Amino acid sequence: MKTLNSKLPFYVLMAALMGASAQPVIAQSDADLYGDDVVTAGAVDDPLESINRVTFSVNDFIYLNVFEPVADAYTFITPDPVEEGATNFFRNLKYPVRLAANLLQGRLDGAWVETGRFAINTTFGVAGVFTPADSVDGFEPIPAEDIGQVLGAWGVSDGPYLVLPLLGPSNLRDLGGLVGDRAVDPLSQPFAVNESWNWEWRLALSATDVITSSPTIIERYKQLKGGSIDPYSSMKNGYTQFRNAAIKE
Amino acid sequence: MKKIFSVFLCVVLGFSSVLAAATKPADKLMQTVRGALDLVYGDCCVESTIEHKQAKVRELIESNYDMTILIRRAIGRNWNKMSADEQAQVLELVKQLVVKAYVKGLEGKSRPEVTFDTTLQVSSKRIEIPSTVVLDGEPIRVLYRMGLMGADWQLFDIVAEDVSVVSNYRQQFDDHFRKENGAALITKLEELLKKDKLDENIEF
Repeated sequence: MKTLNSKLPFYVLMAALMGASAQPVIAQSDADLYGDDVVTAGAVDDPLESINRVTFSVNDFIYLNVFEPVADAYTFITPDPVEEGATNFFRNLKYPVRLAANLLQGRLDGAWVETGRFAINTTFGVAGVFTPADSVDGFEPIPAEDIGQVLGAWGVSDGPYLVLPLLGPSNLRDLGGLVGDRAVDPLSQPFAVNESWNWEWRLALSATDVITSSPTIIERYKQLKGGSIDPYSSMKNGYTQFRNAAIKE
Repeated sequence: MKKIFSVFLCVVLGFSSVLAAATKPADKLMQTVRGALDLVYGDCCVESTIEHKQAKVRELIESNYDMTILIRRAIGRNWNKMSADEQAQVLELVKQLVVKAYVKGLEGKSRPEVTFDTTLQVSSKRIEIPSTVVLDGEPIRVLYRMGLMGADWQLFDIVAEDVSVVSNYRQQFDDHFRKENGAALITKLEELLKKDKLDENIEF
């Protein structure tokens, strides 16, 4: 007992040290708690801020006064399965963009999954209205790739932040990517599958594409905007973080 | 024999504190998140006004976490550009804004399903708790970043769909303080809190 007692302070100290190594107390200095480590991740090059802010305000007005009522009406009159089917149909049509983006990044696995999904959904899913591939092992949905991500993966930097009329947040790299996306989009030139159609049909198809995607986009837009002190800055930072993460994935 | 037993006891004590450090923060976070959802959706609060729900949610969060840490990290170096009085006012107003945005953001929506994944031990004093929130059928990835501060694990960032909330607010504060001051920020926050809908049209 004596032995134990004499050694007790040592064991207590040892236990305390082991506990301390598991629960180290960090210094509660300003640098520790409130350091500037997040600044580097959030810094966005915005030399065109004054023009961007005006475009952002005009877009905001159009989104909430034109797109949102249209999106609400669409959601109200369209049964959920039809809404989902329309979204699936247009997403399936954009397969060439995702395929090209995967191939250009050397992502053969991604290209394979996208091709398999397109084949299964187009045939068994009635032209992509349904997505039976979701339940096929190895062909579950993967994050969509685009040409902007390709440019990012190739090392092209963001460039100045841009707010595009109607299209919203972007940057110089992603604007280049958007041109690339359109180049391989089967609904756009030069590979348009509907080139022989008259302009009314093409406009109707493009408008339907916009309307089907509006509810989700408007909802996300409002989520990011709600609670922000400066919605413009919030959107600028949110877009940049989101795109950078998509490129790194 | 006693010696061996006491050494074993020490090892167990040390190991149990390692385990405690790894499991407790996740449990506390789950309780807080689910508790906040109960206050918004639960039977207890069906008749409550939105202001009452906000007050209860804030009380719950503040009983478990120090919101000041998240807000001070978001304000960053701009903190020193304000007087002590302005700092106190900004802290209070941002707390109100964050809670209002949370409760209002859930208004009219069905109760989200929240599932937590295994805690990731980044370092001895940093952990990350991944979760998935299914809101209106759409899954959203939310990552809680926590740091050991004193004896408690505190939230120091929340990352939703790869967007860090602290970094996002830091951008907003940085942009504000490039052109304006603390008094203008207080005015802006007060105006924002008066609005019924936080996402209504931006004024030119």
